[in-house]
Amino acid sequence: MSTVLQNLVNQPYKHGFVTHIESDVAPKGLSEDTIRLISGKKNEPEWLLEFRLKAYRHWLTMQEPKWPNVHYPKIDFQAISYYSAPKPKNKLASMDEVDPELLRTFEKLGVPMNERAKLAGVAVDVIFDSVSVATTYKAKLAEVGIIFGSISEAVHQHPELVKQYLGTVVPVGDNYYAALNSAVFTDGSFCFIPKGVKCPMDLSTYFRINTQESGQFERTLIVAEEGASVSYLEGCTAPKFDTNQLHAAVVELIALDNADIKYSTVQNWYAGDEKGVGGIYNFVTKRGLCKGVNSRISWTQVETGSAITWKYPSCILRGENSVGEFYSVALTNHFQQADTGTKMIHLGRNTRSTIVSKGISAGHSNNSYRGLVRIAPTAAGARNYSRCDSMLIGDRCGANTFPYIQVSNQSAQVEHEASTSKIGEDQLFYFAQRGIGAEEAVSMIINGFCKDVFQQLPMEFAVEATKLLGLKLEGSVG
Amino acid sequence: MNIATGDGYLESLLQGQPALPASPIAWLNGLRADAVDRVGALTVPTTRDEEWRFTDISPLTGMRFQPARSASPLDAARIDGFVLAEAGARLTFVDGVYAPQLSYNKAGIVVENLAAGVGKHAAEIERHLGSHAGFQDNVFAALNTAFLHDGALIVVPRGVTVAAPVHLLFVSTQSEAASYPRCLVVAEPGSAVTVVEDFVALQDAAYLTNAVSEIALLDNSSVRHVRVQRENGAAIHIANCAVSLAHASRYQSVSVALGARISRYNLNVLQAAEGAECAIDGLALIADRQLADSHTCIDHAQPHGVSRQLHKCIVDGAAHAVFNGKIMVRPGAQRTDSSQSSRNLLLTGKARVDTKPQLEIFADDVKCAHGATVGQLDAEEVFYLRSRGLSEAAARNLLTYAFGAEIIDRIPVATLKRRLEQIVLAQTNR
Repeated sequence: MSTVLQNLVNQPYKHGFVTHIESDVAPKGLSEDTIRLISGKKNEPEWLLEFRLKAYRHWLTMQEPKWPNVHYPKIDFQAISYYSAPKPKNKLASMDEVDPELLRTFEKLGVPMNERAKLAGVAVDVIFDSVSVATTYKAKLAEVGIIFGSISEAVHQHPELVKQYLGTVVPVGDNYYAALNSAVFTDGSFCFIPKGVKCPMDLSTYFRINTQESGQFERTLIVAEEGASVSYLEGCTAPKFDTNQLHAAVVELIALDNADIKYSTVQNWYAGDEKGVGGIYNFVTKRGLCKGVNSRISWTQVETGSAITWKYPSCILRGENSVGEFYSVALTNHFQQADTGTKMIHLGRNTRSTIVSKGISAGHSNNSYRGLVRIAPTAAGARNYSRCDSMLIGDRCGANTFPYIQVSNQSAQVEHEASTSKIGEDQLFYFAQRGIGAEEAVSMIINGFCKDVFQQLPMEFAVEATKLLGLKLEGSVG
Repeated sequence: MNIATGDGYLESLLQGQPALPASPIAWLNGLRADAVDRVGALTVPTTRDEEWRFTDISPLTGMRFQPARSASPLDAARIDGFVLAEAGARLTFVDGVYAPQLSYNKAGIVVENLAAGVGKHAAEIERHLGSHAGFQDNVFAALNTAFLHDGALIVVPRGVTVAAPVHLLFVSTQSEAASYPRCLVVAEPGSAVTVVEDFVALQDAAYLTNAVSEIALLDNSSVRHVRVQRENGAAIHIANCAVSLAHASRYQSVSVALGARISRYNLNVLQAAEGAECAIDGLALIADRQLADSHTCIDHAQPHGVSRQLHKCIVDGAAHAVFNGKIMVRPGAQRTDSSQSSRNLLLTGKARVDTKPQLEIFADDVKCAHGATVGQLDAEEVFYLRSRGLSEAAARNLLTYAFGAEIIDRIPVATLKRRLEQIVLAQTNR
């Protein structure tokens, strides 16, 4: 490893600042009372409280999973405050009424809201801590019948839809953290695209964790009816804190006949400092159900933040001819740990899935790809192609690949490939020879390595992601 | 299966262990006692254990097995079909008991049973026996070690190359017998040898084989290891093989699994010094309700190691093949070059494959790649052969045979290769 390569990863977290807004914080601890409090604060209907309590009672019987390839001190679930909302104000009529402090926060993050949002053509549903404070472009979307807003609003305005779909892809008892989320989720996004509607713009939401020690438990539900299509973007940044924060979100996607959902994520939460102190624990359950024929769900993720990332955006391919896709770039540096990948469950005939995963490890970090491709006996003619590549920068990091392939149908074709490489001295020399410095060369090599994934991102995100990787790796190479 | 019955079951397997004659060597008795303790602390694995997730061993606990007390007298004529003409030495074990009348040694190296060799080669045995195949968290290795009193010992002296293969033949003749074959191969610096382990049956009822092999390759030595498991269709076959590679040594292995109702083979290769090389190939050809599980681990602990692996499964009937191939590159094991491939052919709608090639890499200057495929015969290939006048069945058989023959071809013993080709051909023609 050349000395040029050693020095580039140590870029301080640029989004690390704390906004002082009075928060309405629930006392620490988790019990049925906490859940009743959350439910009460949000004026939730009885069925949702039952949903939460059922999840909580199931959670109590569950064990924290031990199988992932990540290590962290035991989480004290009684030391977390499960509800934190910016101080309730009267309903806002326009963006001008939003707390200027809050707006400045988004300003610093470069979120394209109000005017900039319009220019960028993006409707942003901003989640600040746990409550949705501003929703733009709602009216425009409503014209074509799209419902896009916070899930707590949807519970009141469209209870029948929420009740019909919530928990159908990720059941309350699915896994330890999904059960916890189902019990205490505070807010998140809800998106419903009615029959035959192609969403006219990319929908996007920014999540931010603000109050120290308030784990964020969002819940996202996206339903695309027959023939509908939508592209949804999720971007994440969080301020710098020293205590670890737990983030256990659940995302559910449902695609009916001929529907198409594209879900893109750029995750850049605080990863802890160079010594591995602090950082977010990102334990997320994301799952999409291709329920109808010819439906398609595509996950694209760029994971650069969090002390620990542990998530497997998955597709259940139930409808005939349905398609699942997973494109991922996971970058870990310093003491970050990532155990991420996907699950493709082929149930229907002629279902197809593609997995492209790129892992980059630097510093003392540990990056694992864990994937499952399961072909059920019913999935005649199913097809899967997986490719996962790892790149190591430095000799103290680790890259692991754990692909599980389970095939119970002879007509299925499953292929898996993986490789490991590094940024070679000869490559850097080649760049230097052409007058390109080490830092820029590394950035170009990494971008080339990740190209297959970046191509899947919407354009603004692709630009952001490219910059982000450059930023994260500054100082690691050299 | 719950833990309580598992515990009771292990105790039942240990019956007969105290009756073993004490070895004249104190440390061996100590090792045995440790293993008995370990068996007491461990339980029979269930599918809740990650290592046994796809292999349900619970049918084992429904059966009672006892070690065979004495070798049943076996006519040399009965093993004729298994004899390898080119073998320079053969050790035959009948139901786990050494059969001197069926063994010979013309190889000019040490090939004898452990009980006989333990006095003469005490140093080698003490250094290697039990030190490669750990039993701390492996209940079957612990059981084998608890019953350790005899086995096969091969010591190849420094600089000696033995061209003729050494044949280790394990024959089952008694039903409900448990045998605990043990094998120790020590290849001294600069030596080379070919070892064939062959597991066969002369009867059709259920029995248990629980084998442990340890192979130590010292500097610049070379070992070719062929392992053929053709137990009967009722047998349960569990085997652990631990290989340790010293500086610039080369290990080549071909393992073929054809028989047994449930078989499990763990192969752990440790590249303990720089510049070691290994090539590990495997073939599982199974049908009906058979289950064949192969777990391999190649541990690149030192720099400049090379490993190659090709594992193939041909799964017919309602059989179930499992493959788990781990490649570990330890911190500092720079310039490791490793490739691994798992290829699986499903012949029926009920056949099932679970495969997991796995990379764990902690060094940056390495070349590691793995791949896995699962599928059926290529329709275009079948069509091509049919266009040349072959029947559908003949075309399929030929392609299936060719798929398996790639591994069989790598066996360096001509007689065995021919015989296995016949078996594969017969199986594909069923």
